[in-house]
Amino acid sequence: MKHLIVFVLVAVALLLFAVCPVIATEIWIFAIFGLGLNLLLGYTGLLSFGQSTFFGSAAYVAGWLLKHYAINAFFALAIGVAVGAVSAALVGYLCVQRSGLYFIMLTFALNQLFYFIAYQWTSVTGGEDGMPGIPRPALLGIDFTDPLNYYVFIALLFLASLWVMKRIVESPLGKILQAIRENEVRAEAVGYSVPRFKLLAFVIGGAFSGLAGVLYAMLFGIVPLEAIGFVFSGNVVFATLIGGSGSLYGPIIGSIVFIWLSESVSVIWARWPLLLGVAFVIVVLFFRGGVVEAWSRFWSWQSSRPRT
Amino acid sequence: MLYALMGLGLSLITGILNIPNFAHGALFAVGAYLLVTTVNAIGNFWLALVLAPIGVALLGLAIEYAGIRRLYAAGHDYQLLFTFGLALIISEGIIIIWGPVGFSYLPPPALRGGVDLGFTFYPKYRLFVMGVAGLLVLATWLFLEKTRYGAIMRAGIENKEMVSLLGIDIHRLFTVAFALGAYLAGIAGALTAPIRGINPNMGVDMLGVAFVVVALGGLGNLLGAIAAGLLIGVAQAIVAAYWTEASTAAIFAVMAAVLLVRPQGLFGIR
Repeated sequence: MKHLIVFVLVAVALLLFAVCPVIATEIWIFAIFGLGLNLLLGYTGLLSFGQSTFFGSAAYVAGWLLKHYAINAFFALAIGVAVGAVSAALVGYLCVQRSGLYFIMLTFALNQLFYFIAYQWTSVTGGEDGMPGIPRPALLGIDFTDPLNYYVFIALLFLASLWVMKRIVESPLGKILQAIRENEVRAEAVGYSVPRFKLLAFVIGGAFSGLAGVLYAMLFGIVPLEAIGFVFSGNVVFATLIGGSGSLYGPIIGSIVFIWLSESVSVIWARWPLLLGVAFVIVVLFFRGGVVEAWSRFWSWQSSRPRT
Repeated sequence: MLYALMGLGLSLITGILNIPNFAHGALFAVGAYLLVTTVNAIGNFWLALVLAPIGVALLGLAIEYAGIRRLYAAGHDYQLLFTFGLALIISEGIIIIWGPVGFSYLPPPALRGGVDLGFTFYPKYRLFVMGVAGLLVLATWLFLEKTRYGAIMRAGIENKEMVSLLGIDIHRLFTVAFALGAYLAGIAGALTAPIRGINPNMGVDMLGVAFVVVALGGLGNLLGAIAAGLLIGVAQAIVAAYWTEASTAAIFAVMAAVLLVRPQGLFGIR
């Protein structure tokens, strides 16, 4: 466990040099988003296909306040976390009462509800054009308009989020959630109120998504309509799965791979979602264990080859 | 009625195959685009209306055979990712083939204009769509309830192991169910084209609606799909009359409201 944390620290530092600061920053924001989903998907066994609901809502609300009331950055982050958690509580309350396929469909349908509200409420959200002009206020005298400063800020926030998430999954609460994943009926029989804990997982996951949403809005200075769309929800599920949803670090690896690839491809070809779709299909058909497993398979194949 | 048709197809696929089919909306869009292309090519609306959904059913057949078949043992997360990837491929493919801008499409001359119903004036084509959709729902119902294969299909929804233990080829059943669901999505898309025009986003918009119908009506529940389809269709029409912008959001709001009162859906199955 210790060396993994060192590994993450090194990766945080190195990534800046490997890719440009904006993409590196986006990667850590996406990783925070993925951490939130992973609590649901990896630890509680709930496949939520509506995470962008919380991400987008937080981005819109905090972005609006930043733009029109010039609130400070800490306050904006707190608002984002709160909006993420509250919207997750609302959505979660409806969703946790059903399970399996119904659950997935409900998270998606409610995502669509929020999407259409954002789409039509053009006076606030700007509709299809997005909500531009979100400032990046200075904090404690540090100027965040400098991309490097902002990157360090995000990287630190990411490490803090990772630490919090690690504490959560290792706490008794985390164990209960895993028990629900393994056997819902037994967890219920032991005396835990399964819907209540699922809802709690939803709220925590939503808070992480909300944090990521605000940081995203501040990074690009705009909340695009896509930030609350279902493709965004799908992307984070994909990133978490390619990283490997079983472990705490899966979504981090997934975000690095996903953002890096999609940012490099999207510059080349406007129809890159097509390639994304092809990637989904290929991964599902051939590399179901995610990057980590593909890597180990590649190594065993390498070492099994006769040396010449 | 179109919503019911859409939900019914999805309900069949989700109910029998037990997979979340995120490509259902894309199949709907393909149906609409195929119809317009076929009409332009052969100049006959009626023949195109027959051919386009069959094309979609064949596409569904291919998807099931080449991809989904391998994924029954995998978890919902991977099935979801697969169908979601397919949806992206299909909708991007539509943009590449037909362009990103939608276009409106007129119903055939025989169905243009309106009919005076005494109390209101109603477009002929919409009446036609209601009739066709009604007939299709009825036909699906008859197929599921009155034929031998329909009975096997319903048995497949209840208990897959038991059905295959009885010596029935469950994989062929899955393929047929997927193709049938795709057919219903395709014909719903084809029928929609002259009402709303076509654009690359129509699939996604409809996908949410189909999920609402299934969530409210219950998996594999025909009556539920019809009731839920009618409910949200009427709700949307009423909201649209007073507050046009909110009409799409209204569908999901109605769903949320119904689930608040009845978390188990309209008929409370599973």
